[in-house]
Amino acid sequence: MEYPESRLRDYSTDASIGRGALDVPFAALTILLLTIGVIMVLSASYVRAYYTENGNATYYFTRQLIFAVSGVIIMFFASKFPISLYRRFCYPLLLGTIVLLMLVLIIGVGTGSGVRRWIQLPGGQTIQPSEFAKLAVILVFADMICRFRNNMGTFKYGIVPFAVILGVLGVLLVLEPHMSATIIIFGIGAVMMFVGGTRLFWFVAGIGVLGGAFLIITKVFPYMSTRIQTWQDPFSNLQGDGYQIVQSLYAIGSGGMFGLGLGQSRQKNLYLPEEHNDFIFAVVCEELGFVGAVIILILFALLITRGYWIAMHCRDRYSFLVATGISTLLAMQVILNVAVVTNTIPCTGISLPFFSYGGTALWIELAEMGILLSISRDIPTTPAERKKKKPSKV
Amino acid sequence: MAKKSGRKKQVRGPNQMMLRRTLFLMIVCGIVAFIVLAIQLFRLQILDHDKYESLAIDQQVRETNVSANRGTIYDRNGKILAASADVSNIFISPAEIKKNNEDPVLIAQGLSEILGVDYGKILEMTQDTGSWYKTVARKVEDDLTEQVRQFKSENNLIGVKIESDTKRYYPYGSLASHVIGFVGTDNYGLSGIESYYDDVLTGTDGRVIRATNAAGTQLLYTNYEDYYDAQDGSDVVLTIDATIQYYLEKHLQQAVEDYDIRKGAAAIAMDPKTGEILGLVSLDNFDLNNYQAVSEEVQEEIDAAETDEEKSALLSAAQQKQWRNKAISDTYEPGSVFKIITLSMALEEGVTDINDSFYCGGSIQVTGDDEPRNCWKRQGHGAQTLTQAVQHSCNVAFINLGVRVGARSFYKYAEAFGFLNLPEDTSAIPSARTGIDIAGESGSIWWSQDLFYQSNNLSQLAAASFGQTFTVTPIQMITAVSACINGGYLMKPYLVKEVQGDDGEVLSTNQPTVVRQVISEDTSATVRNILERVVGDPVDGTGKNAYVAGYSIGGKTGTSEKVSQDAAGGAKEYIVSFLGFAPTDDPKIAILVLLDTPSNDTGIYISGGQMAAPVVGNMMADILPYLGVEPDYSETEKENMDKTMPDVKGMSLTEAQIAVTNAGLTCRVIGDGDTVTDQLPVAYSIIADGSQVILYAGAEPSAEQEAVPNLIGYSYTDAALILSWYGLFVRTDSSVTNPDLQMVSTQSIAEGEMVDHGTIVNVTLVSGDTSMQGRY
Repeated sequence: MEYPESRLRDYSTDASIGRGALDVPFAALTILLLTIGVIMVLSASYVRAYYTENGNATYYFTRQLIFAVSGVIIMFFASKFPISLYRRFCYPLLLGTIVLLMLVLIIGVGTGSGVRRWIQLPGGQTIQPSEFAKLAVILVFADMICRFRNNMGTFKYGIVPFAVILGVLGVLLVLEPHMSATIIIFGIGAVMMFVGGTRLFWFVAGIGVLGGAFLIITKVFPYMSTRIQTWQDPFSNLQGDGYQIVQSLYAIGSGGMFGLGLGQSRQKNLYLPEEHNDFIFAVVCEELGFVGAVIILILFALLITRGYWIAMHCRDRYSFLVATGISTLLAMQVILNVAVVTNTIPCTGISLPFFSYGGTALWIELAEMGILLSISRDIPTTPAERKKKKPSKV
Repeated sequence: MAKKSGRKKQVRGPNQMMLRRTLFLMIVCGIVAFIVLAIQLFRLQILDHDKYESLAIDQQVRETNVSANRGTIYDRNGKILAASADVSNIFISPAEIKKNNEDPVLIAQGLSEILGVDYGKILEMTQDTGSWYKTVARKVEDDLTEQVRQFKSENNLIGVKIESDTKRYYPYGSLASHVIGFVGTDNYGLSGIESYYDDVLTGTDGRVIRATNAAGTQLLYTNYEDYYDAQDGSDVVLTIDATIQYYLEKHLQQAVEDYDIRKGAAAIAMDPKTGEILGLVSLDNFDLNNYQAVSEEVQEEIDAAETDEEKSALLSAAQQKQWRNKAISDTYEPGSVFKIITLSMALEEGVTDINDSFYCGGSIQVTGDDEPRNCWKRQGHGAQTLTQAVQHSCNVAFINLGVRVGARSFYKYAEAFGFLNLPEDTSAIPSARTGIDIAGESGSIWWSQDLFYQSNNLSQLAAASFGQTFTVTPIQMITAVSACINGGYLMKPYLVKEVQGDDGEVLSTNQPTVVRQVISEDTSATVRNILERVVGDPVDGTGKNAYVAGYSIGGKTGTSEKVSQDAAGGAKEYIVSFLGFAPTDDPKIAILVLLDTPSNDTGIYISGGQMAAPVVGNMMADILPYLGVEPDYSETEKENMDKTMPDVKGMSLTEAQIAVTNAGLTCRVIGDGDTVTDQLPVAYSIIADGSQVILYAGAEPSAEQEAVPNLIGYSYTDAALILSWYGLFVRTDSSVTNPDLQMVSTQSIAEGEMVDHGTIVNVTLVSGDTSMQGRY
């Protein structure tokens, strides 16, 4: 009977309990990918930087390097806080996010006319409230699932509260408009509900409704059907949206088995738009080839599965849910980005974690990794220990 | 959190369902999705690699053409007749001007200032922003290109482009224009050797392949460039001798002016032993450097036309006319020149010999003729030897010879001489070409064999015997005659001696080609001897006007009425021609001169002997010394030649008078001193034989000027006499054969011009011998 003692411990809140070391494989994979990412930013961006930043070819690289270093500090810092702290502040975070999302509609800036996604900070920095929204959804939904644990199968508890929150966020994001963030937040929300125990029937129904809506939308809005057509044959729309995806395919295809070599991308010579942002993976493919690209995908896959591994070894449900959410969020971002860049799905703007240029997004991503690492500290490090201390199932 | 205390007891981990669902997520998001993505990458990067790579390279790479230098054309002595120089084409890319926000006004102003192109025109080009290529100026010389380059880099203009090109230069302008030909703006040979040897001259353009960024400019840091060197064209060495060509053109041009030739003229000089063309002229000629331009008179006519269509039609017609190579592309009835051929075949067939004799009563009627054919001399030549028959160019005698040879034999020889190829189909019109290596050669036109071979109708044969009723090209005529005089070998005429590579190494040589031997060496020698008498006999020779003092020249005259004109009922038009060769014992050169439609108004009797023979004579007089043929003057010839004024200043009067007399000149003396103090003309001047020079003994030459009198129409002897009254002198480059009969056709100083005493007027001479008028 060594268990009760440990059972009574609330790992999620009791900061006094000596916490373990963070999960080294997860941290190492994160830093490895981040390092590769920063190097790729240098390679991908220097031509663009040279022309847009008055000949300062390392402009983006230098900034990204500073963000990466500070981001890693943030990650370790975040891993020090107990998960209970995050749980405590999850509702204020959601509220603050909603306020920011409203604010962004008023004072926000964006890439095109009528698009408002960023809030300009006095220091010249910009923040993207939708990034906070993703984290807020994970933290809040995890808490709600814990609270409604006995009623998750019902419509009233298993669907309505979550749908309300997603609805509010969804409306605000559509108003920006920010398609990819909407998709990701709905996706992450759905995954949280799925893991939390909402009945599968609702997912089947939801998929049916979404599919029908999608068909209607593509029929009603010519804009959407053009987008589908561009996806199916990007060469049909070279003067418009097809240009970007075609340039991306050129870059990826040019890479071949072993690539043109680091720094040797030709497409980055102003051909490929967004080459250091959303389409940086195309440059990776061009320079490092199929072999290099697959190695990076494997590193991401390892990181993600390690994230799920951590989640599944949590002895605390909230931690488990948050870790699953963050892993899924990471997975969605990576998979959707690579799918867009390779024209596997229609084009939409999703950045590649640790690779795409952008300060605040990187900070938040690393903070999320920090939260996951914080959770990992509560997991015993050796298999024997884990087995021994594993709490009984409820 | 509110339930903190309660939750303490209820710490719970994920339940089984949660773990199952998470495991499912892990498999989907951590493994399956990545496998799908890897498969997609495999498709794009491995399976479609070549497709995407080539598409990508297409857009990443800019190709620039590097013009290969077109080969040089040399004359046989290495003089450059055509050469290429590097120039540039200046163009703008309105699309890039717009893309890079460059100032169209600045560009238009700058380029218009440097290149002299209209400002408004350039500005208009910049507005066509869909275009990437608008030519501002072509074939711009180096210094201007450099200015454009500077303008471009100073203002950092991407939209202004410079492209290398080459331009063709012809140092001699119009010399041999029809032989050399010209190239179009794209450096593609359009006529002459430039066209026929275009493949040889062109070479292969090179390319610079350069990787660029999307803006079309150089890559940063990396530099990927690939050169494919231009393979310069080979050089071509012609058989043409620029000096001989010059003499041909000079004298032919003179003839065109002297006789007011209406429809052009042609001359060919050939080495009869090899078939090499030494010179080939077609008039009117044109400046190769500006081949589109027509002569001033024609331009005036065109400007006078009312509508633009008329103007362009006139211009086009005039251009086609001046570009047409009469010597190669036009056919004509050779007339009596063809008698050389009839003579050769008759001798070779043995149907006549040097001792044969003929009687000409002024006409002859052959089987099939409706009425008798007249000889050109209606009253008849009477009894004559074979040589005399040729000297007289007697049609009656030659009809006899033709009939003796027979129609079938006649055509066999005509075929052997390259005038026709006998087709299988005996009703078809026979024709042939020499195959000379230049564009635009026409073929001859003859009677079909069915018509020609009729035994009951010899009229075609009779007419053909003296060169009528069929047409051949001048190049065919001279090639065949060359065979008659060179020992009997028909040579293939050619214009290109050899093709040379970059550093002068010979890539290929055209060797003289014997097509076949047509007549024997002996027959050929007989023909040469007889033809020498045509020119060399100052009494009976119809070709005596081609005689050049000191040289033995053979030849034959020709005059043919243009049948088409006669049929149309217009004024009679003639083509007069002369074919001469020298020296007769060992021919080094044969020259054919053909004058198409001399004016009826010059007062000179229209015939080959009167008009064409002197032209060949004048050409020979210049060319034979150039070829190093030593003259051998007879006593009278020496007398007739222009004389050199000795230096008698300071001599005693008696001594001076003897010196002047010895020089073949006469003199008058002004002043009463004993010593010659001055002389006119100055020492070593060359003046006409027998001119009266002036010796001053103590007196001063008058400082007054004299008005030059008219000399045209006077004989050379008279011209010398007239000028001596004014204290002026005359000389000529024409060959002086009979100064009492040769008439002045032009004078170097116009009538009425004021000149100093002692001035020498240079004149050209034409034949004024009217003793033998006739269309022979």
